[in-house]
Amino acid sequence: MSKFIERPRYLCTLGGAIATLKVLPRVIPIIHAAAGCGGNIANALHGASGYLGSGYCAGLALPSSNIYEKDIVFGGEERLTEQIATTLEVVDGDLYFVVTGCMVDIIGDDAVAVANRFHQEGKPVLGAETGGFKGNSYKGYDIVLSKLFTDFVEKNPVKKKNVVNLFGLVPIQDVFWKGNLNILKALLEKIGYEVNTFFGEGETLDNLKYAGAASLNIVVSDVYGIEPAKIFEEIHGVPYVIAPLPIGAAGTERFLRTVGEALGTKETIIEKVITEEKARYYSYIERLADVYNDLDFQRYSVVVADVNYAPAIARFLADDLGWLPELVMITDVLTDEEKQLVETRFQDFTSGIRPKLVFDTDTSNVSKHFNASWQKNNNDRYFDSFSPAFVLGSSLDRDFATSIGAPHLGVSYPLSNRVVLDRAYVGYRGALSLVEDIFGLLVGSR
Amino acid sequence: MDYIKDKAPPVREDRLRACNAYGGSCNNLVDQSKKGCLNGIKRTFSQTQGCQLNLSLAILNTIRDAVVIVHGPLGCGGANLSVAGINKNFQQLRDSNARGLLWVNTNMGESEVINGGENNLRDAILYAEKEFRPSAIIIVNSCVPAIIGDDIDSVVEGVQGEIQAKIVPVHCEGFKTKIMASAYDAVYHGILRNLIPDLDAEVKSKQDNKNQLEELQEKYRISRTVNVLNVSSMSRIDEYELVRLLKALELKLNILPCYAHPEDFLKATEASLNVSICATHDDYFVEHLKTKYNIPYVLRTIPIGVKYTNRWILDIAKFFGIEEAAERFIAQETKLLEEALVPYRELFKGKRVMIGGGEIRVVANAELLTYLGLEVVGMRAYHYDQFADEMLDEVREGDRVPFNVATGQPFEQANLIANLKPDLYVGHVGGNGWAGKQGIPVLPIFHQSNIFLGYTGVFEFARRLARVLKNPSFNRNLGENTKLPYFKNWYEKDAFSYIDEGNG
Ligand code: SF4
Repeated sequence: MSKFIERPRYLCTLGGAIATLKVLPRVIPIIHAAAGCGGNIANALHGASGYLGSGYCAGLALPSSNIYEKDIVFGGEERLTEQIATTLEVVDGDLYFVVTGCMVDIIGDDAVAVANRFHQEGKPVLGAETGGFKGNSYKGYDIVLSKLFTDFVEKNPVKKKNVVNLFGLVPIQDVFWKGNLNILKALLEKIGYEVNTFFGEGETLDNLKYAGAASLNIVVSDVYGIEPAKIFEEIHGVPYVIAPLPIGAAGTERFLRTVGEALGTKETIIEKVITEEKARYYSYIERLADVYNDLDFQRYSVVVADVNYAPAIARFLADDLGWLPELVMITDVLTDEEKQLVETRFQDFTSGIRPKLVFDTDTSNVSKHFNASWQKNNNDRYFDSFSPAFVLGSSLDRDFATSIGAPHLGVSYPLSNRVVLDRAYVGYRGALSLVEDIFGLLVGSR
Repeated sequence: MDYIKDKAPPVREDRLRACNAYGGSCNNLVDQSKKGCLNGIKRTFSQTQGCQLNLSLAILNTIRDAVVIVHGPLGCGGANLSVAGINKNFQQLRDSNARGLLWVNTNMGESEVINGGENNLRDAILYAEKEFRPSAIIIVNSCVPAIIGDDIDSVVEGVQGEIQAKIVPVHCEGFKTKIMASAYDAVYHGILRNLIPDLDAEVKSKQDNKNQLEELQEKYRISRTVNVLNVSSMSRIDEYELVRLLKALELKLNILPCYAHPEDFLKATEASLNVSICATHDDYFVEHLKTKYNIPYVLRTIPIGVKYTNRWILDIAKFFGIEEAAERFIAQETKLLEEALVPYRELFKGKRVMIGGGEIRVVANAELLTYLGLEVVGMRAYHYDQFADEMLDEVREGDRVPFNVATGQPFEQANLIANLKPDLYVGHVGGNGWAGKQGIPVLPIFHQSNIFLGYTGVFEFARRLARVLKNPSFNRNLGENTKLPYFKNWYEKDAFSYIDEGNG
């Protein structure tokens, strides 16, 4: 049995599926569900991800069969057929992708079969069952990618040695996904590869269509995108490597070595790029030498984020900034196996720091875990307080930050207290932005 | 009207024969509405919209010191994520200690779909009580528990004895209705059944505890108190304006239901009149308060623009027999306002405008914009029912101005804008961004940080309008650099091509 979640930080499977499709170039999602599912999801995707906006054909423009009671009783396939046909008349896209809500999956509408009938007539229509009860947003991402890898990516037995695909960083759940993809792509280009990220700047659906020619899939996550990567390997014979999200010098160096090794890239090339990037990175970080040391800008910290971000940020705080991330809460729904795997990511920080790691989905538990790991002051004259402190989390964690008197930077979904455009936090370059944002808050409150 | 003994209210298709798909002239719409033949019209191409659960949350999320439980899979009520960080500020305008939005999702997964989600709901209720000790726990019921037959009322009955908070079940599953506004009935139904006390018991206990003088004072107070029913997209400053208007008539206000504390509803029966600012929002509530507690109501119009603000005030004054005082107040207010508007009129002259939003507000805004000197060239409303007949009938050139009934459906809007070529779009959330991408200036109506109501609202509206018209560069640039997702030939077709009246 699943447990209730207090202030969950994700949507349902359908929500994740729509998020994924919404940011694929010229892909038109068609929702087969009750009218409100799309509107509700649209609101969450736009308003809780740094004001992403409606996009090309999302928001309230999402085509949707808007079934209601009568269709639930008599079945909604006819209505869906009509909706697909009219969408093809009105909406200008390259690929139309039918996704389903809970109620149609429960009553047994075969939306995928309906989509397939259009496909057989030569129309660019695909479909997948994404009923909300199957899981959360991340599941929706995996389902959509798996379907695209199976039915949209063209088979190509000839592999190009210098082409790789990169995924696992879940759009919108990672509010900075687009900027992040740019940076990772540029890094890999620097070591000599062409990269398809599907969701990145300037990419088209062709990047996805011809992804079968790649020689390696790089999954930037221990948990997400793994299922699709396995399917990709099975169908297109492309192996994958897991290289967790890198933030900052320490993390990015590891990322480059992991990828380099999997690709058989010459070590000298990797070393050269690391040296160059690091030199650039420190040419900026060096500016902080005075303020960090004059004003004592080392901080205790708490990180609340998803399984991709939490290890990356904690490592960055500990190994790059020399901070003390004491508590990390990962808010995803994970299996025990996944938890164990993720735990290992916290065990080898070069700084030797080992934050207390908890897995918890409920927002008000952040302060409980905090109180359990850091003693409260019982009116002692001399007391080791959690101060000065800094909290990195979603906008839901602002209240917690206030309660411990710490500044708060929104880095994980939902983010409704900042606007995000092409900002990125990964790699060397992204870390500089993160540093600007963190230290900006510290000096801003002077 | 007495549906209160039922667990859930009827949907608006049945109760009001409401419509959410129409395109044609205003006059024809009123005719059809009076004949009752708009019900059930459908679209063969449709875009997503809200459901009654989403709209219910928009109201319920504002209630202070309450925890909302969304009973359904994770996505339902996910839109809460976008207001979670903001809602607290608005609550704190009413109570500086307010905690903001707290909610729990029962996270129904595959196993609950098969075995039922009642246990999850029970656990969530107990958790909400233990964790937050709120005054009320509000449960909204989504599609999945409704389809699989979870009996939320018996869960509530079973658990209410164990906890202090009042539990308020709200049946608002999305698939039950196409008319999103059914949410208002669902919410009021829950409030009426669970937060408003049984009158007979109340009166008795009061008589026991009070001496005669106190009783007389109380009676007098009630005789000068009105409940003013707000809407979730109103601002605190809107409320201040209504307080100002009625204070001039020496009346006191209870403001309900948005941003109220659950205990404020205890006072809902201690007023001599219920005043709505929007019939389509409140008819269910005021009718019930009339049937059950014998409190009369005013439900005719919305205090937007001079004409309707005057009418709103006069309706109330008439009830209290103080029309003369009201007339004097109105004369003085309108004179001041007219003078203040003079500098703006030149700028507005002849500008062509399209308006979108709730039916009552759209028509009132059309009146306001016409009053300011603009020309209304098109209107869009989320849905349509009889409550707008009187006001829409008064629209000048109603045979010429197209009216589009559409919950969202930005494709119809895009077509209308491309063909009517208005100089300005005035709209409620959801459609404004799309209009902006077509390059025209946009003035959003109704949101929680601006004033729209009363005479001050007219002036502030004019001021904002002037500002928006003064420099529309942002949207002009957008228009030149973005494309809406429709094929070119869509704009050559009739905007209402996908409305299938044969189905009505
Ligand atoms: S499943 Fe039903 S209640 Fe939930 S968002 Fe969709 S329409 Fe609304």
